[in-house]
Amino acid sequence: MTGRESQSAIEVSGLRVQFGTVEAVTGVDLRVEPGQAMALLGRNGAGKSTTMRVLAGVVPPTSGRAFVGGYDVRESTLDAKRAVGYCPDVGGLVPRATPWEHLQLNARLRGLEGWETRGRALLERFDLGGVAHRVTAGFSHGMQRRLSVVLAALHQPSVLLLDEPFDGVDPIGVEATFEVIEDARAHGSGVLVSTHLRDLAVQVCGEVAVLRGGTRMATISSGFMAGEDGARAYRALLA
Amino acid sequence: MGLVPTAPSSPDSASVRLSEVRRAVADLRHLLWFRAATLNRPRVVVIALAVFGAVTLLSATVPAWIDLDPAVLARATRALPAALAAVAAISVASAIAGGGGRELLARDPASIHPISPVTDHLGALVLAPLNTGWLLQTWLLLGFTAVVAGPERLLGVQLLTLAWVVAATVLGQVVAWGVEWVRRGPRGARVVRIGVAVALGVLAGVGATPDVRQVLVAGPARIVATAIERGSAGAIALITLTLLVGGGVLVVLGARLATLAATRMPRDEGRQETRAHAPRPTPSSPLAMMVRVDRASVWRSVPLRRGTLLLAIAPGLVALAGGLRWETLILLPGLVASGCVLLFGVNLWCLDGRGMLWRETLPVAPRTVLVARAWVLAEVLFGAALITIVLGSVRAGMPTPAEALAVVLALVTVVGQAVSAGLRWSEKSPYAVDLRSARATPAPPLTMVGYSLRLALTTTFTGLYFATLAALGRPLPMLAVAVVLLAISAFRIVRASRRWSDPVRRSAVVGVVAA
Repeated sequence: MTGRESQSAIEVSGLRVQFGTVEAVTGVDLRVEPGQAMALLGRNGAGKSTTMRVLAGVVPPTSGRAFVGGYDVRESTLDAKRAVGYCPDVGGLVPRATPWEHLQLNARLRGLEGWETRGRALLERFDLGGVAHRVTAGFSHGMQRRLSVVLAALHQPSVLLLDEPFDGVDPIGVEATFEVIEDARAHGSGVLVSTHLRDLAVQVCGEVAVLRGGTRMATISSGFMAGEDGARAYRALLA
Repeated sequence: MGLVPTAPSSPDSASVRLSEVRRAVADLRHLLWFRAATLNRPRVVVIALAVFGAVTLLSATVPAWIDLDPAVLARATRALPAALAAVAAISVASAIAGGGGRELLARDPASIHPISPVTDHLGALVLAPLNTGWLLQTWLLLGFTAVVAGPERLLGVQLLTLAWVVAATVLGQVVAWGVEWVRRGPRGARVVRIGVAVALGVLAGVGATPDVRQVLVAGPARIVATAIERGSAGAIALITLTLLVGGGVLVVLGARLATLAATRMPRDEGRQETRAHAPRPTPSSPLAMMVRVDRASVWRSVPLRRGTLLLAIAPGLVALAGGLRWETLILLPGLVASGCVLLFGVNLWCLDGRGMLWRETLPVAPRTVLVARAWVLAEVLFGAALITIVLGSVRAGMPTPAEALAVVLALVTVVGQAVSAGLRWSEKSPYAVDLRSARATPAPPLTMVGYSLRLALTTTFTGLYFATLAALGRPLPMLAVAVVLLAISAFRIVRASRRWSDPVRRSAVVGVVAA
């Protein structure tokens, strides 16, 4: 099967992922519509990053269905990858390539034309303009996170997947990431943000899905997850 | 090992106290236990170590009972000083190229532990034998010793030879820490580059002059060789003891130099990581773009650049100094290719590090990614082997047509073999490696020895085959063999490409490399 099979930006049903004897994801269902931003919350090992990697086309699902941009990630992997912009949870950068070379590689493989202006603007927005031609091996953790968000956003993907985009990032970087998410939503993209930072997640996402032990426990409106009441509700879901 | 440079303000920061040595020995034991406990395939490691032990024992004993022709025996006796000197040369060169030798624990995981430079030094010494050049040369030396001494005096002279090997290995480590200390100092990289160039030039000049060549090995190596050949039991015992005491002194000196080197920041990496690389126009095709990024990953890495240049130039200079003829030069592409592929080719995906996770999400066919990586590996191997051949050809005279054909075919064939082996091993056994440090290797030390021996065996046989056919002046069988060997390599590359297209297999590699 090929071609678009879903109108949703992200549609996941009965997703299971197994590594050897370990079940990392044991049944996740998600739906993110175009223009919607959803946060993925949960404890360490809840299956958030594995779910993101499945959606990014890196890890094939053991069973279940996953569509991004309408494409089945198992059957139409390349089309799904074209639809996605992904910021991985760890590293995610080639150590001896410069940010500009990362952008060039991204643009060339996605067939982008005239991307340079947007690329420069994104680098400036994330305060990376001054290091655009230095290899990323010497970057701090926060700089690497910021560049990963830039790379995910460059081609204005129809699905934006951000895994721990705020981890170790300074307030300027957090603000810039918020702007990227808002831009993507305004552009009609579906956004999925995996993070441990509930406060930030509820500020920028309309809905929150909570994973526990590889399973989705609940999908709640962000309003219910904000403040002290939200923190109590979140703890209750994790317990 | 991951040494955090310490402040040079402490007045005794470079001194080595006895308590520190005791603690370093204890830490070394813990680190060795940790390495042993975290082995992926402990049984394979035990078997490999048993094989190394058996080969060492056999090479040290069996040749003594072989009844050799007097002319061969005389040749072995003449070659003994050079074989002794070669162990020292290999120890020094390996330790310098490795920026202070091998690490018991990679820099990142080591950075959270209080591992002292003395422990680092002792760890590098313990791991020094896990080096194919060192192993082969030591086995060869033990064999020469057995041949020259015969069965009656075997035990005593082999102990002397082992004492020499130990002292030479420690000397290599001492020199390497000294060089590393200079390299990390002001204008250190330039000073070391000039020093190495001068040393290589002198060695080449000395080697090209037979009378002076004798002087090169006339020092301690000749004394030890004479003792092996006809020394009394007392003389052998005295020299063995002297070497062991000298080795002990060198261990302490090495610890001091390692401590001094640790007070300085490694400069190569810092320079690479802060240098601006002028942007170039975006290439016209995805493949060209990926080749550019992969090529940059090789040449901007300190250990890869240094290792490639060393492997390209050093054998060429040896060939130049020794005035090797074309029948021997045919063997060199195999030597260089099998050495260069060990720098990163046996774990090709480690060039991306954690960036592999992001690269894997880019919309491009897996085969294109693999072709780009194989292309870059092949061009590094071709380039290095070509430099060696060009240097070696200066004094080799005009090759016969058969010799010229053999060199070309050997070059193409061994590169094909090395690339296909690299692709296979990279998929089968990936490792998460940070190639920032000059001391990093793409796979654990023992695995590297296994790869190295297998490659050396394959490429040496290939070279010998072409050399023999060239000597017989048989171009057609040469072409036929080359076609068969290239077809085998091509088949293996295609098979590797097919495996790489499997998303499950690929995700497993990504999971390991980007861990």
